[in-house]
Amino acid sequence: MMSGKGRSATGSDRFEYLQTLVTEFQDTDSDEAKEQVLANLANFAYDPRNLEDLRTLQVIELFLDMLTEENENFVEFGIGGLCNLSMDRECRDQILQSEALPLVTGCLSSRREETVLSAITTLMNLTTAASRSQTTDTAVLQCMLRFSISQSPRLRNLASVFLQDCCTEEQVARAEAQMQGHHPTALGIPLPKD
Amino acid sequence: MAAFGNSSCWSTPEVYKHHEQQNICPSRPKYREGRRPKAVKVYTINLESRYLMVQGVPAIGVMTELIQLSALYGAVEEYRVLDEYPAEEFTEVYLIKFQKLTSARAAKRHMDEKSFFGGLLHVCYAPEYETVEDTRLKLQDRRRYVNRTTQNKAKEQDQEDEKSKNPMSSDTVATTARTSSGDNQRSSDTSNKGETSSTSHGHYLGFPLLPLPPQEFPPYRHAPSNDLSYSYQANQCRTIPTEDKMGSLHNAIDTKQQLAPIVSSVPSSSGGDRGIVKRLSKNPPPAAPPRFVPRTTDLENRKRKMVETNKDSLFGFVDKNETLIGPKLPERPKMDMADESLNTTANMIRNTLKKVASVPEVKPTKTKTKSAKPRRRI
Repeated sequence: MMSGKGRSATGSDRFEYLQTLVTEFQDTDSDEAKEQVLANLANFAYDPRNLEDLRTLQVIELFLDMLTEENENFVEFGIGGLCNLSMDRECRDQILQSEALPLVTGCLSSRREETVLSAITTLMNLTTAASRSQTTDTAVLQCMLRFSISQSPRLRNLASVFLQDCCTEEQVARAEAQMQGHHPTALGIPLPKD
Repeated sequence: MAAFGNSSCWSTPEVYKHHEQQNICPSRPKYREGRRPKAVKVYTINLESRYLMVQGVPAIGVMTELIQLSALYGAVEEYRVLDEYPAEEFTEVYLIKFQKLTSARAAKRHMDEKSFFGGLLHVCYAPEYETVEDTRLKLQDRRRYVNRTTQNKAKEQDQEDEKSKNPMSSDTVATTARTSSGDNQRSSDTSNKGETSSTSHGHYLGFPLLPLPPQEFPPYRHAPSNDLSYSYQANQCRTIPTEDKMGSLHNAIDTKQQLAPIVSSVPSSSGGDRGIVKRLSKNPPPAAPPRFVPRTTDLENRKRKMVETNKDSLFGFVDKNETLIGPKLPERPKMDMADESLNTTANMIRNTLKKVASVPEVKPTKTKTKSAKPRRRI
């Protein structure tokens, strides 16, 4: 697993290292370097011990900014980082507070399967009683319904878990009814290619 | 590249992009170089799986050895050779299902790119072999683990803060413990109520609600559901933590009546709670407002012991690194007989049972020595 562990793991060292990464990301002009750093940070976000440092360094905002980039790698790594971060409740709440949900649901229409998978998982993490109306709106549900019959097992599984665990049966039935008679791909949101 | 063929079980399995080994990134500045050269890739829970795919296994009949090697990292539930998967000449591809994700992770880390009977293994996760239920459990476990770790970390930091402020706080603990002022109780009570009900009910669950004399004992360590408020309070009113906990325990007698109906709403995030959500139907009711009643030493000790074991068994925080799969059974189901002497007897029986249960560990060595003697035929 790539986590850039070339340094000691003591608390302040780790924080400084993360800070250096963020600084490089902001200062560099090279897209390649940015991608590397972004992937590093997203992988650091996988370890819950780093979450507090990452929050302090405002990496959540950094990841959210990436979701509107043209560069598909930026988007994929950004939503991957958010997927990792949003497992933690405090990070989840911070993401919800920043009102960036539309950016996350927007990732559902990406051509990249990893991006879509990360987006679905992030949405699951972000679904609370308060946010449910947004994370499970009709457009999202119809998307999930199509994903649930996809060729890709990972996509099928995640979409199924989403529909089963985050939505009520009535919601799903309603969304299904609205889709009746439409050819899946005609709805406008393309299935991810790979 | 993945080709979307039909999904019949007879078709060639997909060669997914995430199975392919990407090229190592050559341009990393030195400060960011890891111990091993790696590709630019982000790992999320979706990419990881209990299922591992091992490619490059020499086709010389070494399946057993491969599984034995894998089993070093954790229990293997299933394995099979993937005949259908495109493989290089003279090599085989295996699918190995581990019992735990952590085992799969360890196995991947250690076996990937390693030489095995002359071949080079390529190990990757194979989440596409998961069932919907596998995926669901994986995500739930992951969420639980993350929240548990962040709580533990917050606690550790509190303890470090405590230690650094220790010279100050010990005096305040002593004085406030003695006085047990109403203010402290009230503030800790509100801090209690500010958190979810399950945290408050958790710490008195399982032992008779008797008021305790002031002692340093932290029953309140683990909050099963993660609260933002918990870590806030941890930072704000933690100069005298024992006092908070004392105060909250103290009020447990009053507050428990209010909390009783909410008991069943144990959050699913901590699997360990599920087995123990059993409210005591009858509690020794202290009629008067909570005050210190002198107790015999035995009862105190027993209670302390019960709380110590309850801490871990209730919330399952036995091992930080252990991933819980499913609910953990309680170590000892507690029953309150609503009578002191019966409770005493029950405890004695329990302790005896514990001793008896620990005996079998001794037996194997005993039997070894016994087998040297000639056996009596009956």
